[in-house]
Amino acid sequence: MKRATRPLAITVVIAVTMVTAIRVASAQAVPACSSLPNVVYLQVGDTQENLMKRLGRALRDNTGHEITLAFVLNGSCTNMAQLYNKTPVTTSFFYIPSETDDPTWTPDKPSLTCTPPMGGQVIDIANMIVFPTSCPNSVPPGFVRTFTGPAQSMVMAVPRASSQTAITFEEAYFAFGFGAAGMITPWTDVTQMFIRTVTKGTILSWAAAIGVPAAKWQGQRLASSATGPCNTQVLCSLEQSAMPEAAIGILGAEVYDNDRQNLKSLAFRARDQYAAYWPDSTATSHDKKNVRDGHYTVWSPTVWMDMVDQSNDPVTPEARYVVDLITNKAPAPDPSFDIIEIESTVGLVPDCAMRVQREYDGGPLSLYQPAQSCTCRFEQVVDHTTCEACTDTCANGGVCRHGLCEER
Amino acid sequence: MKITSKLAAVVVAVLAACGHGAGSSPDATTRLDAGVSTPDASCFDITGMAHPSHYQIINACTTADKIVKDSHPPLLNPDGSLPPLPTP
Repeated sequence: MKRATRPLAITVVIAVTMVTAIRVASAQAVPACSSLPNVVYLQVGDTQENLMKRLGRALRDNTGHEITLAFVLNGSCTNMAQLYNKTPVTTSFFYIPSETDDPTWTPDKPSLTCTPPMGGQVIDIANMIVFPTSCPNSVPPGFVRTFTGPAQSMVMAVPRASSQTAITFEEAYFAFGFGAAGMITPWTDVTQMFIRTVTKGTILSWAAAIGVPAAKWQGQRLASSATGPCNTQVLCSLEQSAMPEAAIGILGAEVYDNDRQNLKSLAFRARDQYAAYWPDSTATSHDKKNVRDGHYTVWSPTVWMDMVDQSNDPVTPEARYVVDLITNKAPAPDPSFDIIEIESTVGLVPDCAMRVQREYDGGPLSLYQPAQSCTCRFEQVVDHTTCEACTDTCANGGVCRHGLCEER
Repeated sequence: MKITSKLAAVVVAVLAACGHGAGSSPDATTRLDAGVSTPDASCFDITGMAHPSHYQIINACTTADKIVKDSHPPLLNPDGSLPPLPTP
């Protein structure tokens, strides 16, 4: 009896081990991007990673219209040129698993990777976080269509241990334009000033705001906001600085929002402005009120580009579906999720919640009225709203949408 | 005389309420005006205005927290303008 049982037990153990090993290997294998369902290829700013993660998950689970976002992260000007020149991406893409593929995946976990075909993959969508005119050779070829998406604000951040609370336009001009010679205490050590390379939207937007061209900034030029080795990213360099009072860096607001426990953003007083303001109504809120109404001036609309054929039809209809979603154009079929909620959650301001606009980076602001407002919904997602709740109509005027009385 | 004094006081009050141009920052210190529940004094009321200017928008009345910080960088020109950036 024992002799017969032992070999059987060993066989079972080996079989189970092999099946488990195959499953693990299968789960860890990097798939070809083309093997994923309904793939759309994007190259986006690294500030948009949080949007890609949440939207990527939602689109993978989009009932009846599943789409896989395969994306790479790079600078705004690089992204634009990549699409204009149809240059294939030869590095791995990121993608997000569906609920069925991995029910335990959450946006705080890394994205998965997939491999492009031999010779690379031409992207379907390019994203910028600044106006194209901030980049060289910005006139689009005839096959490119450009759309305006949610607004992206940028901040100057310091370590939480810093005592600084605000920076003025003049201080920023001298600190970043002159370095130590600018004599703006405590920001006189260029080894503690963490900036970006000249193709990145974050520095281009700030450059326009303080009148110092990106190529002339003094400081440590880092490749990324928050990914890669610590000494190559702004976020970690600020967190780990041994000189917190002297340290300062530029970040997308949503990158900063995810690390408020370690960093502080500085209120900014723009040229000709009486006082300095945060993007939000207070240093601790998330309402982006001052971006929406114009008191915080360092923001740009995100720009989304895809390609059309000679009939002016999208080359990739699924790519246009994604662009229409991000730019709040109500594509068909209706998505099974709320894009306003996703954009608001990641620190962007949907166009329908904005009340000011501009025509180029650093340009003057004017009032703006979207065709359909989503201010109440935006406020409900990021903080709280005082808007009247409704089920169908609004007794005091306005339009009932998402259960709230929007102004129009 | 009394009327003149009153008129002058009104003019000063209006100027203080509306702001009067670039570089008119209120003081030389850093001050957080937090938890303000009513619009601040040095601001533009743009409610109902169809086309306020950029200057009026960024200085519009708000209940948001603000920091009043007037800076005088050492390299600022005497007239308050900025010198050109150094050439590399």
